[in-house]
Amino acid sequence: MLKAMIRDLVAHKSRVVMTLLAIAVGVAAMVAAWLISDSTATALSAQRSRTDVGIAVQRIDSDAALTVAQSKQLADLPGVRGVSVVAVGRAGLVGADGKLVPGETVPEYAGTNWSRTSRFELTEGRAPAKAGEVVLRDAEAAKGQLRVGTRVRILLADAKVDTPVVVGLFAYRSLGPRSDPQLGSDPVPAVAYDARTATKVLGDDVERIELTVVPGADSTALTAAADRITGPGFRASTGETLAAASAREAADGAKDLRLALLPAAAVALLVGMFVIANTFSILVTQRTRQFALLRAVGAYRRQIRFSTLVEALLLGSAGGAVGVACGIGLAALLLPLMNSDGRIPLAGVPVAVLLGLGIGLLVTVTAAWSAARRAAGISPMAALRLDHSTPRAQGRRQTIIGAVAVAVSVVVIGLTASPSAENAARIVSLLAALVGVVGVLLLAPVLAGFCLRPLLGLVARRSSPALRLAVRNAVRDPRRTAATGTAITIGLALICALGVLSATLLSLVGSTVRENVPAATTIVQPAAGGEAVLDASTLELVRRLPEVSTAAGSRDVVADISYRGGQTVRRVSAIEPHALGTVFTPDLVSGVADLRQGAVVSKNQADMLGLRLGDELTVTFDPAHQVVTKVAGIYDATELQAAIFVDVAAVPERTRSRLSLIYATGPDPVAAKAALDRTFAVRPDVEVIDRDALVTRLQDVQRVGFAVLYAMFAVAVIIAVFGVVNTLILSVTERTREIGIARAVGAGTDLIRRSIAWESLVISTFGAVLGVFVGLGVGAVLQHAMLGQHLADLTVPWLVIVLGLVGVIIAATAAAAWPAARAARTDPLRAIASG
Amino acid sequence: MPTRTPAVQATALTKIYGTGDARVIALDGVTVDFHRGQFTAIMGPSGSGKSTLMHCVAGLDRPDLGAIRIGDAELGELSDDQLTALRRDRVGFIFQAFNLLPTLTALENITLPFDLAGRPPDQTAVDRVVDVVRLRDRLGHRPSQLSGGQQQRVAVARALVTNPEVVFADEPTGSLDSAASTELLGFLRRCVDEFEQTVVMVTHEPSAAAFADRVLFLTDGRLVDELTAPTADRVLDLMKSLEKVTS
Ligand SMILES: Nc1ncnc2c1ncn2[C@@H]1O[C@H](COP(=O)(O)OP(=O)(O)O)[C@@H](O)[C@H]1O
Ligand SMILES: [Mg+2]
Repeated sequence: MLKAMIRDLVAHKSRVVMTLLAIAVGVAAMVAAWLISDSTATALSAQRSRTDVGIAVQRIDSDAALTVAQSKQLADLPGVRGVSVVAVGRAGLVGADGKLVPGETVPEYAGTNWSRTSRFELTEGRAPAKAGEVVLRDAEAAKGQLRVGTRVRILLADAKVDTPVVVGLFAYRSLGPRSDPQLGSDPVPAVAYDARTATKVLGDDVERIELTVVPGADSTALTAAADRITGPGFRASTGETLAAASAREAADGAKDLRLALLPAAAVALLVGMFVIANTFSILVTQRTRQFALLRAVGAYRRQIRFSTLVEALLLGSAGGAVGVACGIGLAALLLPLMNSDGRIPLAGVPVAVLLGLGIGLLVTVTAAWSAARRAAGISPMAALRLDHSTPRAQGRRQTIIGAVAVAVSVVVIGLTASPSAENAARIVSLLAALVGVVGVLLLAPVLAGFCLRPLLGLVARRSSPALRLAVRNAVRDPRRTAATGTAITIGLALICALGVLSATLLSLVGSTVRENVPAATTIVQPAAGGEAVLDASTLELVRRLPEVSTAAGSRDVVADISYRGGQTVRRVSAIEPHALGTVFTPDLVSGVADLRQGAVVSKNQADMLGLRLGDELTVTFDPAHQVVTKVAGIYDATELQAAIFVDVAAVPERTRSRLSLIYATGPDPVAAKAALDRTFAVRPDVEVIDRDALVTRLQDVQRVGFAVLYAMFAVAVIIAVFGVVNTLILSVTERTREIGIARAVGAGTDLIRRSIAWESLVISTFGAVLGVFVGLGVGAVLQHAMLGQHLADLTVPWLVIVLGLVGVIIAATAAAAWPAARAARTDPLRAIASG
Repeated sequence: MPTRTPAVQATALTKIYGTGDARVIALDGVTVDFHRGQFTAIMGPSGSGKSTLMHCVAGLDRPDLGAIRIGDAELGELSDDQLTALRRDRVGFIFQAFNLLPTLTALENITLPFDLAGRPPDQTAVDRVVDVVRLRDRLGHRPSQLSGGQQQRVAVARALVTNPEVVFADEPTGSLDSAASTELLGFLRRCVDEFEQTVVMVTHEPSAAAFADRVLFLTDGRLVDELTAPTADRVLDLMKSLEKVTS
């Protein structure tokens, strides 16, 4: 009996090819996601195994400084064999194209002193020896197309510029975690000068002191002694502690990466499951007579069930194997693209292989389970009936459950729709949306009937016979149409929901910036982006321009905030009080925009923290700097932007000279912008932009994140299209006789081919349109829950919808080619002869 | 012949399909014995319940009322698995068409019951039935490579191969030409004569019924008449008289 089943598989390869592909693509996505995160983690932790440092004294408070006397004291500690000081300073590397080279570290910390420790590994040239010489990290040099022997421009602090010759390239090996509030961090430098030149060019800002110790020294005692010498601004840790912390950080990083990649792969698998389940369901229906015959001749129910599951098992392992191979290939291809510096070897392959095969099997067998049960339930009498339409008893129950789910979902979402809802309510509303989606999927067969039957009447009168045939076939089994279409629905719903979220977010970002920043304001910001800052000299430069009348800097820092309701960490912007109302005009909801009277807080932050006008607020920048203020004004803004403004006079000195961006304007805004453009034309590390460009910048940052998700969900849609091909092939087989008769009475091959293409289009379009509606609904809830908006305030992502629909239509038409060709080849005589 | 013990005993079988207006009484209290080593034919107009009777007594379907006994087994008391095993090991069945799995060869179709039971095929039984139906040179062929008559002979071989207590055939010659029909009926006759096989066959052709030892007539789900040692002419005569009664 297994023999019969396996021969059946082999004999009808085309039936299974698409199922195999659906499994393989899902598994490949999973395996690739796993491999990429695992390899990255392995590479990260492998990079950081420096063993030559016994104890590292790391700066943890950016204001702290170390005296010469203190470092001498450290060197004199018993058991310390050698001391190596690590200084950092501002060094913006200018590439061959005259633009700032984007580096691993922001320019403020990108310069350091060369040392003969294992921090540096020369990969080309020689070490820097004197003023006028410099070595660059290989990755940044490659990005900036800077070669050994050429002169390079380096932007130093206080608008100074150095132009040394590149004498070598190095690879950097960091010690300890990249960022850890307790242990401090080891920024990866792009530029290194010899020690003496470094002091002159970069200043003597000590970031870290590395101590080598004699074997057997008591590291606990030494760490304590070092801490006593340096005071609270520095923290001494042993090499082992740092290595462990860095391993932990690498593992966390890998986990984050995995958490980001795996859900998307899981979506692909879920859609794959729909395709598989549908395929098996059709296969079982087609083999009703065979199963019934087997039952009549004496096959137990469990034998029938078992044979179907074995079939799933075979398909699952084959698809899993193909998927694993493709996944490994994909990971090998993508890894170099995702990590521009350094080659990352594939790691975790054995686990990925097992994972891929296991998931392939699990998913296929799970998906085939209900089909197998149905197969086992076929009565032996079914062999004798000529028409094998099995009564659909569960249809009514499914419809009722679906309708109830949708109703419950709508009611719950309605109840939790308030934009000021608590987090718990928002989560409930997301869950309700999920329930609603399940409900719609359950209702899909009924919806298919509803939508397509009127269509049948429409095409019956005036249209080509091919279209009539196609619509009739799609309507004949609405359950199959729905099951095939819903795989597409899921993919497109995800894309649309994401589209709503991103479009809403982007328009929100745009509208808030436009509302809060006057068009006349020019923005001066660091070109390096991210956490990069400008120093006080830049603000001075701006202020000295005669065309500029008002200039203010926003210093964005993360600070502890305690308030009546509790304590939290928030991004706080320190700005000059005169900026409000001139270069920055918050759209006040209540109170006054006067920082001298207190903080100005965005409405959504105030809602979230339960703050009202006059409430007291304690902002802690670092243990030594605490500001007590009160809420003076509340304004309208998005959740993603700096939302708490305080008077710059209150913040620590160092924070004051780290400007995230500068707002400037003058009596003639155009002249002011022109003057700023001119002033900073020679400064690749500074960007001068107007308000609309600022909007675009902010939106671009969001777009990048969404692009990755779009790509992932597009994979799901591709899998769903495989499902359409599969269903069509199976239904062509099912209708061989019918097509044969049509051919015999005079239907041309062209008519047959076009009718199959139309059918593909009808099924896919049904799935896609349903997906768009579901996606808009889910998107509305999503933007409510994540952005705190009203449900109806969504921005419809027209471009995404049109592209999605057009893409599905093209894919469906292309997908129909193969089954259509098969159908057209049907031999009229054989079709009628075959039972 | 009445002295022989029955292979199959059916008592007061009633089977009703549908409800309300669509209600059909397919079997209306049929009580019948099929004797060991006897060839019984069942005749009757279309829709008279012949197939329903077959399916019930063969354990393919369950009657609404009444009892069926095959050998020592009371079918009503068996679980689905037990009934399945009974069909596999103790009953043979030949349908009018679609008897064979298309992906298996003739030999594999014949030995299917052994395959399902997980036993190696009984080689002497296989040789015997293959010789009876004269299929030795066609064993490696797929059903699609066989003629209709050959396909039905494979089905006969499969029905016989487990040496069942009874073989049921529902219009086995219904889609065959007369030469192939005669040949197939000859095989069934030989099984009865040479191997003491019990055979029950539904047919609507008097010439086919003439191969049987005994002919039962069914009308509207009721047994109405019976003939022993029939000839085609006597069957035809009886059918005509029955038609007169009903019309
Ligand atoms: N599955 C079924 N559902 C409803 N009615 C049925 C079914 N099978 C048979 N019948 C009805 O039962 C009666 C007897 O059918 P059947 O035993 O097939 O007759 P025969 O084989 O003598 O032609 C007929 O009226 C038929 O329409
Ligand atoms: Mg019948």
